[in-house]
Amino acid sequence: MSVGKKTPIQPALHKVIMVGSGGVGKSALTLQFMYDEFVEDYEPTKADSYRKKVVLDGEEVQIDILDTAGQEDYAAIRDNYFRSGEGFLCVFSITDDESFQATQEFREQILRVKNDDHIPFLLVGNKADLADKRRVTFEDAKQRSDQWNVPYVETSAKTRANVDKAFFDLARKISSRKYRSEAQEESSPKKSSCCIIL
Amino acid sequence: MATIRHSLQKEVFDISEEKLIGILNVTKPGKKKKKISFLCAAINKEKPVCAFIHQIKENDKGSLKKKNTWPVFELQVVDGKDENKETAEFDLTFDRVYKWVASSVPEKNSFIQVLWKICCRYLPKQKPQFINISRELLKEDGDKIEGGDIIAPGLDQADTEDESDFCALSEREQIDLERLILKSDSAVSDAEAFAEQLSKDLTMLDGANIHSMMASESQVKALMEMIDAALLEADKIEKRLNNYDEILLYVKDSIEKMAEKNFFIEQTNANNRQLLETVNQLITQLEFPQEYEKFLTNPAFQINNLTPVIEAAKALETVIDAQIPPHLIHLQLHFQAVKDQKKRFERLRSEFSKHLARNLNNLFIYHGNDPGESLSFHAEKLALPRHSNIHNELMPYAPLMHWMRNLDPKAFQKLRQTYSNSMSKLYERDIKIFFDEAKQPIAGGKRLRGSGSSQDIAGMSGVAGKLTSLSHSRTGVGAALLGIEREQWGGELDASERQKFDQIFEQVLSELEPVCLAEQEFCISFFNLLSSSEPKGANTSTASTPGSNTSEESGSNTPSDSSRRHPLKQVSREVRLMMSELFTNLEQQLTSFVNTFYRADSYCCLYIYVRLSEHVLSAEDTGSFLSITFGSCLIQAKRNYDNFMGLQINSIKECRVTKKKCGIIPFVTNFELFAQTGESVFKKSERRGDLDKWYAMLVSCMIDNIPRVAIEHQRTPPEVVKMENYHVLYQLLSQLKLPGLENQRKEAKQRYQEALNAYVTQYFGRPLEKLNLFFDGVQAKVASGVKESEIGYQLAFSKQELRKVIKEYPGKEVKKGLEQLYKKVEKHLSEEGNLLQVVWRAMQEEFIQQYKNTEDLIHRCYPGAMITLDFSIEDILNYFSDIALSH
Repeated sequence: MSVGKKTPIQPALHKVIMVGSGGVGKSALTLQFMYDEFVEDYEPTKADSYRKKVVLDGEEVQIDILDTAGQEDYAAIRDNYFRSGEGFLCVFSITDDESFQATQEFREQILRVKNDDHIPFLLVGNKADLADKRRVTFEDAKQRSDQWNVPYVETSAKTRANVDKAFFDLARKISSRKYRSEAQEESSPKKSSCCIIL
Repeated sequence: MATIRHSLQKEVFDISEEKLIGILNVTKPGKKKKKISFLCAAINKEKPVCAFIHQIKENDKGSLKKKNTWPVFELQVVDGKDENKETAEFDLTFDRVYKWVASSVPEKNSFIQVLWKICCRYLPKQKPQFINISRELLKEDGDKIEGGDIIAPGLDQADTEDESDFCALSEREQIDLERLILKSDSAVSDAEAFAEQLSKDLTMLDGANIHSMMASESQVKALMEMIDAALLEADKIEKRLNNYDEILLYVKDSIEKMAEKNFFIEQTNANNRQLLETVNQLITQLEFPQEYEKFLTNPAFQINNLTPVIEAAKALETVIDAQIPPHLIHLQLHFQAVKDQKKRFERLRSEFSKHLARNLNNLFIYHGNDPGESLSFHAEKLALPRHSNIHNELMPYAPLMHWMRNLDPKAFQKLRQTYSNSMSKLYERDIKIFFDEAKQPIAGGKRLRGSGSSQDIAGMSGVAGKLTSLSHSRTGVGAALLGIEREQWGGELDASERQKFDQIFEQVLSELEPVCLAEQEFCISFFNLLSSSEPKGANTSTASTPGSNTSEESGSNTPSDSSRRHPLKQVSREVRLMMSELFTNLEQQLTSFVNTFYRADSYCCLYIYVRLSEHVLSAEDTGSFLSITFGSCLIQAKRNYDNFMGLQINSIKECRVTKKKCGIIPFVTNFELFAQTGESVFKKSERRGDLDKWYAMLVSCMIDNIPRVAIEHQRTPPEVVKMENYHVLYQLLSQLKLPGLENQRKEAKQRYQEALNAYVTQYFGRPLEKLNLFFDGVQAKVASGVKESEIGYQLAFSKQELRKVIKEYPGKEVKKGLEQLYKKVEKHLSEEGNLLQVVWRAMQEEFIQQYKNTEDLIHRCYPGAMITLDFSIEDILNYFSDIALSH
């Protein structure tokens, strides 16, 4: 893409992938974040992509979201988009222990595909509004996230609680990681010559 | 009863010359079948009178006939049966006893009464016995008894008739006679002597009588004389009276004459008084104080001693307008004095009018050169100079102006014209400068390209020069149109500049309002434009009708802000005309301003449209000049707006993508910014509906034009173009949440899904093409009726053939095919579309599905042949993982 003189510099692009079992509310979280709306009726997703411009810490960035299918016959199909992702929201439902257990698998697959233990990753316990149906305690979830060394956040796509926080936290992680890697590259002698040119 | 009585009299008794006196309806007692008959008492009309009782019956033919007749003197007993008890029965005894039953008790009683009377009258001596009858009935004077009325008149009548000829001696006569007879003892014995005695007595009495008559003669004579004397006396008196009468007649005449004269005199007096009054009135009406004259003939128009002049002028007006009673109008032509006075007034009027006109004329022209309250070239705030000082200075002359309007319409018109001319110059200059200044802050020495033809703002210096120096008109390229890449958009204003423009435009409008309103109010009250409230109708000529002195001080004298809230009545045509004469260039300037910015940045037309609408809608006096000017400008703005939208639509229709990879079509990308701008401008406007309407049209137009662009593009498959663009459009619409676009949103989503499916299935590239072809054939055979188990015996689809085909697709080849496919997809899809993962996932799914179908078919059609594909599903998944890891 040729950049015209008047075209503003494209904002940084962060690619977020929504993962998690079927019916935990990945699409609901996405739609809430994107359009401020909560869709009641459930329709299994295959794959949907979204793009949103947000101002993150004073800087305009673009967040690409890939909303994926919870039910997939073959896990390998996911490899490709896991590979494309820069950060992951690993969602389970606090009312469904199975979905919580499934996060383990997702985590493992992501790490395998990305081959990176420090990939930006958030464990998200959704449906926090349904407190009376809770099956997964905060402590259990927290323990797992600590074990993975990732943050844990409980959200409600219905009430919009922590929805922005989840996405922004992840975007921030992606951003800082990118910055760090850039810095590393710049600090390398190969790139320092570029600086001189600039 | 009366009719029966009548018919009885007629049919029965008239024949026998009898007179019916009493009648009773009777029956015989004891008989079952009661035969009605009548008992009638009658007397014959001949002398001697005899009374009869008849029984009369009605025979078969209906005529009445006497059945029995008894003379009354044969009547022996009348038996009423019971004295006390009321009963209708009674008996009459003649030669034998006859028993009767009367129809009613009162009738019986009255009949008995009649009988009693008859007996009393005609049989005084040998009355029959009346037994068992109440005493009351048997009184001689039966008239008083009730019920007797019916019969009595008949009897009485009969009595009087009888007595004229014959009368029985009354008791007294009888006694007298008896006494007379007794006196003369011999009477009975010697009738002759008795008669002689009687005649003697008679002669004696006669003599005495004559004697007394003779004795009274002299007295009669004396009486006669006295009467004669009295007559004479009466004659005299009559004569005298006649005399008096004559005299009185004469007096009456003279008095009448006097009265007439008196009446005339009074009328004359009244007329004179009235005349005097009228003349007095005329004089007071036409009286014009001398001292005023000098004010008028030699007026001083210094602002501080205007009062006496105004007073004098008013007085003159009253005098000239004096209402002369209609009956005097023709007289007035003959009154020299009145004529003279009128002439004098006329002279005064024209003289004063001349003076006044000259003076005011000068004044207007002088004020026409007024620079206004410091034209603020360096003032930070944009301001249109006010001319309230002129208004304030002129306002004292308002009464004189009204005077002029009433008394010298021609001069008034001229003056008004002068005012219009001189002030319009002033306003023209002000407005021009004002608009130039308004243009400056935005242009700010910067680009304001495309600013209109130089005529619009000819002859302006400074900023205007910059404006005109910019490119004359813009071609399609460079305009901020949806169908054009953003990089190629011209130098339109950016958001903050637009905001500034919006503010300035608002300022322009709100600056214009008070100035215009102040001028309008001034004109109305100064020229008294509302006074002639008579309908002007088609007569647009401004010639005002004189004499309408009901000058109504409308509005306040000082055009202040507070008074402009005062709801003005329908501003008349005259006012509007005047205003348009004053602000000749306002509309032109405003339109030019609007158009300039529209050309500079077409998005401005949105702001202009909304702002102007607001002002027009909030205007209270819809008929005022300013409202109408704004209104016509609004029409222009609306035209620009619609034109702008039309251009957008055209640009969508004409949009071409020349890039190698089509990607997102510009109009889809640009729509986001467009809609955001639109939303920010129309946020609270009442014109929101206009925007929504265009949104719908624009989006529909986009939906319709995406396939066109898709087909026209050389390299990118149409499905990809459609898929990517519908996807972005769908996302945009979801995000913008524009009202009324739900259908378009759904349509975009559906079209996106369709395009995705079409792309995945059709443009899949078919990594296992030959294998697929083979099995397509197998499926066609099965569909045409070949049993699945017999497919293997078909020549084209034998096991050998199958093996051959399978051999062409070893795992390596498949993996290579998939890798190529992935690269192809990557090449097709654009970065902005962001659909690679979505598409690839669908393709993976599709490939697995195809694999499974093939496996299934082999299993069914070639059972037990031990033929399998060269690669397993695990292999495929591994290929996928490898592809994933390879980039």
